[in-house]
Formats: sequence, structure tokens, C-alpha cells
Amino acid sequence: MAFHHKILGIVTLLYLILFLIHVIYVAARKERLVALIWIGLYVTLGLHTLGLAMRWAESYRLDIGHVPLSNFYESLIFYAWCVNLIVVLMKKRLAYPAITGLACLIALFLMGYASISPAVDRNIQPLVPALQSNWLHIHVLTCFIAYAAFVVSFVCGVLHFFEWKGVVPPEKAIEEINYKSVVVGFPMLTAGIFTGAVWAHYAWGAYWSWDPKETWSLITWIVYALFLHARIVKGWKGTRMAILSIIGFSSVIFTYFGVNFILSGLHSYAT
Amino acid sequence: MSATKSKRPEVNPAKRGILASIQAFLTSVTFTIMLLSCIAIGSVLGTIVKQGADVEEYLSLYPEGTYRIIRLLGLDDVYHSPWFLALLILFAINLVACTLKRFFSVLKGRGRTELPDERALSAMTMSFRVEGSMSHETITGILPRGYTHVYRGEDGVVCEKGNLSRYGALMIHASIMLILAGGFIGLITGYKGSMVLGQGETKNLITISGGNPKERPLGFALKCKDFRISFYPGGAPKDYVSTIEVIDRGATVLEKQIRVNDPLCYKGINVYQASYQKVPSFSFNIDGENVTLREKDTYNKDGFMMMVVRFETSVHDFGPGVMVAYLDQGEPKTTWFLRNVERLRQKTIRGITLRLDDIKEDLYTGLEISRDPGVWIVWAGFALMLLGLFVNFFMYHRRIYARKTSKGFIVAGVATRNKEAFGEEFERLKEKAYGIPS
Ligand code: HEM
Repeated sequence: MAFHHKILGIVTLLYLILFLIHVIYVAARKERLVALIWIGLYVTLGLHTLGLAMRWAESYRLDIGHVPLSNFYESLIFYAWCVNLIVVLMKKRLAYPAITGLACLIALFLMGYASISPAVDRNIQPLVPALQSNWLHIHVLTCFIAYAAFVVSFVCGVLHFFEWKGVVPPEKAIEEINYKSVVVGFPMLTAGIFTGAVWAHYAWGAYWSWDPKETWSLITWIVYALFLHARIVKGWKGTRMAILSIIGFSSVIFTYFGVNFILSGLHSYAT
Repeated sequence: MSATKSKRPEVNPAKRGILASIQAFLTSVTFTIMLLSCIAIGSVLGTIVKQGADVEEYLSLYPEGTYRIIRLLGLDDVYHSPWFLALLILFAINLVACTLKRFFSVLKGRGRTELPDERALSAMTMSFRVEGSMSHETITGILPRGYTHVYRGEDGVVCEKGNLSRYGALMIHASIMLILAGGFIGLITGYKGSMVLGQGETKNLITISGGNPKERPLGFALKCKDFRISFYPGGAPKDYVSTIEVIDRGATVLEKQIRVNDPLCYKGINVYQASYQKVPSFSFNIDGENVTLREKDTYNKDGFMMMVVRFETSVHDFGPGVMVAYLDQGEPKTTWFLRNVERLRQKTIRGITLRLDDIKEDLYTGLEISRDPGVWIVWAGFALMLLGLFVNFFMYHRRIYARKTSKGFIVAGVATRNKEAFGEEFERLKEKAYGIPS
């Protein structure tokens, strides 16, 4: 087994442990666990970064060097990395174990799915000509940072429906975090769609061809544009915003997974 | 700013004329939300129903009644259907009207830079007084970086930062208009086609794809000087490279190696490496004469006629082979020639000795050719939107006032949003101001 697979295996385990620490926190309410959680998040992010870097280095050793952002497996691993990154970047606002705990669970799911699903090819594959573009790298980077920010928004949307004193953050705090994460995610998604369009222009001579993945990313974008207008212009609050953030994230999930498996198009990594 | 805008009292619709309320609706965000939802739902339909296939395919997928409905609603080509276009046009109208309405209110708010009086300043949520004799340069000297003067007089100063953020929403909305306009220009004046070139071949016609392919002159000619494919050790394609020469009015004006992701551009027309084709050619020796034939080519000499009908890269594991048809006393007959099997390489038909010398595969480069004069407008729209989003969400407008009083100074500050962060900034300013020796 290649070295990077080992590191990423440890990282997966760490996400599991982190999630369990959250569970223990909820049961025992020891404030010192919160400090441990944050140290754990930093360490995991570091190791995760190392894992990605090793995979990158390994691809050069195999003489097919490229940034590890080019197939489904790499995108899953990268998605989990982005979730951790966003949590660390929003640390000041995310002082609520309920949010970091669910984020760890989602990262764990992504890592676990990447390493055990038979539908995922874990080998480093050479880049076919269409994928050899720097625009592609910026495209994937920006899209996944956006998707990770929407994970936070989704978690807030779900938490809105639960009341659990001391575990679920107060309503106002959830709303603020939800809004801020969309404020990070929306420009990133916009940048992701634009860089994707520029890439398509140079690769195929058409910046927009209504391919299913493109169309679904537009739908996602529209949902979050509606989210922003509903909040900023119409002053919506509470349940309606929570529902919008859940619809938005469902759309993200469909753009990312659904389109690959259910609809076919230019973006299916399989071809 | 956004909060104050939306709190403006709405005029009771019953008191306005019908036209005025229609106008109000067309410029409302409620209408925007409806339109965007409809566009989203239409787009979803376009990804569920198969787009742009032919009748047989639809009938194999859906019952006939369903197919009729699909055709009636234009669901087989959602993104070019009249109703989808109508939604986009309504959206554009809504956006323009809304933005114009908003633009004027932003401009109106721009002019007010006067320094409020002492009472108004002390009533602001963030204010403090400093005593002593000093000039207002002392105050502006300790402001955080990035503040600029909007007013400077004997009585005091007004400084602000992040003024651009007031135009953020305007920039975002204007950028959408740019993108729509660019897309529309591309739709009207652009085209997209393809060209297949063999090595050494020159062409000046492109095939416009679509229901019934048409040919169209390019205005200049393209010559493929060379085409190469390279592979990774595992066999996956690594690189497609065509060396293309642009020939305009008989002269070579440009030569470039194009690859996927690296097109050639001449006179606003882009030439992309899109695909390749392998076309086999067969070298026969017919009665001592060397003849090269391709699939479907016929050979006809001295009453002997034959045609290459089929090529297989592997015939029953015996390697590449080609099937030849000929007429034997008016009867059509076929026979296989296999290159790697000596016994089946040479045959004698009606007294004529035929020998398959070699099978070569010629590479043809598949070029995609498109012209889209709107693309730069779209790019400008992208840039403006990203700038607008940054300015809108990551900058905020705040002002600091400093006014001379009888005993010293009063300093006050307001921010449109991000009041928390501004509060911290203002606190630091206060500490610094108290530290100044008077
Ligand atoms: C999908 C396209 C659109 C996008 C991406 C978009 C984006 C935005 C964003 C990001 C804001 C936030 C401004 C702020 O933070 O203050 C905003 C505000 C606003 N938008 Fe849009 N918008 C779109 C379409 C429209 C349309 C068609 C209308 C026309 C009715 C509209 C009306 C408004 C209004 C009135 C505001 C409030 C501006 C303010 O008070 O600052 N938007 N828009």
C-alpha cells in the first residue's frame, strides 16, 4: 500500500476519533474536551494535507505528475480536507461542538466512502488531455471550498430543528453562522462556475453547454442567490432560511454525486 | 445600508394605479424570487428529460402520449425553448428595472458628506470626547489605515473607509446583465463547427453541426502540417498535437501547435483540438501494380472490379484483415485478406493475382472551430461579479467624524454593517486618542 494511502487511513481514523470525542463531550460536558477537539482538528488537517502532498509527490514518481484533484477519489479526499479547512478558518464563529461534531461526521463519511466504496478507483491515474489545465485546478479548488462552506450552512439548517440546551447553539448564533458560511460559499461557488466556464472555453470552445453538471451547479447557485436575497432584502429568518439552506445543500449533493451516477455528461470522471 | 433600504415604507398598492402596481411588481424582489425559482425548475427538467435526441430515441424512452407532451412543451430542448427564453428576458427586465431603481438611491446617498453638529454626534452609539487643544490632524493621524477624507473644514473632519462596498450589489447586478448580454451576442453572431483534416490536407469549409449539417466558408484556410498522439505507458492518451497553418489569401499567416486546452485564435475565430479519427488505408498489389485503397473505395480496371467493404483490426485473433467484394460472372462475392497470415494475404481471383501488402492507419485531426464575439463581455461580467461579491461581502462602509468642541474634540463613528468589527476598531481608536498628550 502506498504511503499516502496509509496516511489518509490514519486521517480517516482521526475523524472518527474526533467525532467520538464530540459525543463524549455531549455526555460529559468537560470543557477541556473542547480544547482537545480543536487541537485534534489542527493535527488532522496537517496530516490530511501531508497525505494529499504525498499523493501529489507519488504521482510525480510515477511520471504522471499532477495535482491530486483529478478523479472522483481525489475529489472526495479533497472535499473532506476543505470541510476541515473551513471549520478551522471559521473557528472564531464555530465555538459550538454541535457544529464541529457534525462537520467531522461529514468529513468521516467522505473519507470512509472514498476508501471503501467499490465505485471509487483509488489509484493515481494519468491525466487525459482535457484535464490538463490550470483552470481545472482552480475550478476544483474553488468549487470544493464552496461545497465545504455549504456543509456548515447545512449543519446550521438541520440544527435549527433541534432544541437541546447546551448542545445546540442558540437560534441567533445558528442563523448568523448559516449566513456567514453562505457569504463565504457563494462567492467561491461563483468563482468555481466561472473558472469552469473559462476551462470549458479553452478545452471545447464553449463556455456553457448546458451539460447536466453545469446546469446543476447553476441551480445550486440560484438557490443560494435566493437564500441571500431572502435574508438581505426580504428579511427572512428562522425555519424558512433553514429550509433554504437544506435545499441548497441537497442541490450541492446532487451536483456532486447525483449527476455522476444518474445523469451523464462531460464531467463524469469515468470517461 | 441594505437593511435601511428594505425598511422603506411600501406604498399601499390599492392607492396606486394598475400600471404603477404592475411596475412595482416587475421591479420587486418577490418577482425575482419567482423568476429564479422558475428558471431553476426549468433547468432541472432539462437535466431529467433527454435533450436534443431524435424521435426514435424518445419513443424508445417514453410512451407516445408523454412524448407528445414533451414536444408540445419544448422539453426536448428546454434551454432554447420559447418559454425558457421568455423567463430569461423577464429576469433581465426585472434585473435592469430593479438595478436602475437602486442605482439612483445609491447616487442620492452619495452627496451627503457634511459634518453633523455636536448634539447629533454625541447621540451616535459610538462616540467619545477628548479634551485639550489639538488639531484634527491629530485625530486623523491615529485612524487605522485606509481611511480617506470626505470633508475637511475649520470645524472638523469626516473620514470614511470601504465606500466601494456601497456599490457592491450594483456591481453584482450589472455583471449579470453583462453576462446575459455577452451570451446573447454569442447566440446571435457566433457559430460553432468542425473540420476533419488529414496530414498535409488544406480546407476552408467547416461543418456546422446540428439537425442537418451545413457547410460554411471559414474566410481562410487551415492546413494540417502534422498530427501526433502520445500515450502514457498504461495506454491512456497523453497529448493530441496538431500543427496547424493558417492560410489567408494564399499566404501563410500563422503557424501554431494546438492541443487540447490550447487553441489557436485568428481573426476572432478559435480553432480547438477536439478529437481524432483513424482511417485505415490498404496497399494492394494488383497484377504487379501498387494500389492504395480506403474503405468503400472501388478499383476498376480492364473489366475487373473490386471494392473494399470492411476492415477489422482483428479477425478471429489473426490480426488485421480487410474484406473485399468483387463480381464473379455477375455474381457479387466477398473474400477476406489477412495481413499477418501468409496463406490469406495473396489470392488469385479470375486470373488476377491480388496481394495485400500492408494496412496503415492514417490519423486525421478533428478540429472544433468557433467564433463568439460575446465571450469577452462574458469574461468582463465574471470579473465584475467577483469584484462585486468581494466588495459587497468582505468590505463594509464606515465613517468617522471628528468635530471641534469648546473643550476639545468629539469623535463619533457609524458603520452600515459589521458593527461588531467596527466597534473593536473604534475602541482601539479611542484608546489611542486617550493616549495622546494634550
Ligand atoms: C441571480 C442573480 C442575482 C444575484 C447573484 C444577486 C446577488 C445579490 C447579492 C449578493 C446581494 C447582496 C447585497 C447586499 O449584501 O447588500 C443582492 C442584493 C439585492 N438584490 Fe440581487 N442578485 C441577483 C438578482 C437580482 C434581481 C433580478 C433583482 C431585482 C429585483 C435583485 C434585487 C436585489 C436587491 C433589491 C438587493 C438589495 C440591495 C441592497 O439593499 O443592498 N437581485 N443581490
